[in-house]
Amino acid sequence: MNDLTLLREAGPEAPPLSLAARSAARAALLDEIDGPGLRRRPRRRVVVRVGLATVTAAAAWTAAVVVAAPHPVGPPPGSVRLVDFHVPTFPLSLDPAPEGLRPAFDGNGDGASIAAYDDASGQDGFTIYVGDDAPEGTGHGDDGAPGYQELDVDGVSLGDDEVEVVTYERDWCVEDTDQGCVTERRRFAWLSWERHDDQWVSLLGHGEYADAEQLQEVAGSLVDRPQPATLDVGLAPEGWSIRAYKMGRVLTLANDAHEAQDLTVHIPLPEDVIPAGQVRESISGPIGPQLDVTVNGRPAQLVRVDIGYVVDGHRYEGWYLQAQFEDGTTFVLQAPEAFTKEQVLQMAEQVTYHP
Amino acid sequence: MPDALPGDAELIARSVDDPAEFAPLFDRHASAVHRYLGRRVGELADDLLSETFLIAFRRRAAYRPEHVEVRPWLLGIATNLVHGHRRTEQRRYRALARAAAEPDRPGDDPGDAADRLDAAALRGPLAAALAGLKPRDRDALLLLAWGQLGYEEIAAVLDVPVGTVRSRLHRARRLTRAALGDISPLDPISEEEDR
Repeated sequence: MNDLTLLREAGPEAPPLSLAARSAARAALLDEIDGPGLRRRPRRRVVVRVGLATVTAAAAWTAAVVVAAPHPVGPPPGSVRLVDFHVPTFPLSLDPAPEGLRPAFDGNGDGASIAAYDDASGQDGFTIYVGDDAPEGTGHGDDGAPGYQELDVDGVSLGDDEVEVVTYERDWCVEDTDQGCVTERRRFAWLSWERHDDQWVSLLGHGEYADAEQLQEVAGSLVDRPQPATLDVGLAPEGWSIRAYKMGRVLTLANDAHEAQDLTVHIPLPEDVIPAGQVRESISGPIGPQLDVTVNGRPAQLVRVDIGYVVDGHRYEGWYLQAQFEDGTTFVLQAPEAFTKEQVLQMAEQVTYHP
Repeated sequence: MPDALPGDAELIARSVDDPAEFAPLFDRHASAVHRYLGRRVGELADDLLSETFLIAFRRRAAYRPEHVEVRPWLLGIATNLVHGHRRTEQRRYRALARAAAEPDRPGDDPGDAADRLDAAALRGPLAAALAGLKPRDRDALLLLAWGQLGYEEIAAVLDVPVGTVRSRLHRARRLTRAALGDISPLDPISEEEDR
């Protein structure tokens, strides 16, 4: 056997490309194609239609696209049973909490491993990484980044430990153009140590926090007190688990038995919130009317959608719900057809968001 | 007879003036790019798939069809994105190696020892070997094995001379074979059979 054949046959396999991930990536590209000047209007999305064993490219992006369906996308309607569920927490807190900074967590089903604290402008802040293993290099790979230049290495005390803080600069892409990135020099500080056995904590500061003393102060304020996820669901289908959560405001759950079947809850940016009267015309593949429903005592919009899969003659559908929390913040719940309408609303009532 | 669909390079050329022409490239190549990324970084592939196409779209004017075809070009962008997640990639390989080191399948006939030297038996050592490679060597090896790029294409997307690709591949394959040790029934390395 050739070693390349071995790599292909016995090397790590890729997880399946879920419909949600594919649709999200495609929507992001189409937004980019729309151009920044148009990005603030309600999104115009494309219906991605799927048929069996036929692959063709659409002549224009507004046309339907037919691609091969990888596999059926889950159990039939009415098969969901909702049970209590909570998103895992980030294991550490800061005491005192840093003034003017708010955390956003990234993680997976094992819990959050990254907490990014930023001020409202994004100019000043730091990111906390927690893991079992010592990180390699400086700044989570920044030592291989364009223009990396080490500026200082300072020794600081953390309890009984003497730890190095590396301050460095690197090129930072501030604008991506057709000709490539427009970069500027940006300064960071990096601190990493084994806080407990098998608990490695790293801090990466930027702006005012690209400074050894600032990071030392942050490190000294870390306490073993889990922080709840900013976005939580309260309920989830039995047998489902978290696939990922991003930036503290996007949460994806997947059916353990059918990975292609997933649901997403996210908090859209204010400029991406669709006006209540335009939800149906602004989303991908609406096939039913826009239903006026109530969530958290507030008007919400629910639309039955074609999610794009046709398998063995069955056209898979789903739900798109735009609703609000009691404080008026909008959230979106996208669920597969295995949910009944009542379950979509039941789950939506239990979604919470505490940024 | 309907007109033939435009080729990849033609779509990119058209998209410089009409950005919408770029969209079909996603439909053509998203699965291949995701599969390549997924084998390297697991679930993170979902995010990197999106980033790959965004970067490709933004840099479409700089694409040169005489330099490299579109699929290798996309895989090159994807490879550069993986660089920012080296630890995720290594952690994934190590986890796969640990998982594969769990006890063997029960009930195998000792006489079937040869059958156990199949690909499945090598999953763990192979993942461990990948974790131990230098990132640049691993890029070249995985673009060859999983991306199914040729030496010249790898050189083009990594922006290094072909000779450098050869030396990186030689080192990566030598180390991989050494890591597999006596358990692998590998044939000798042959550049001619590499695609």
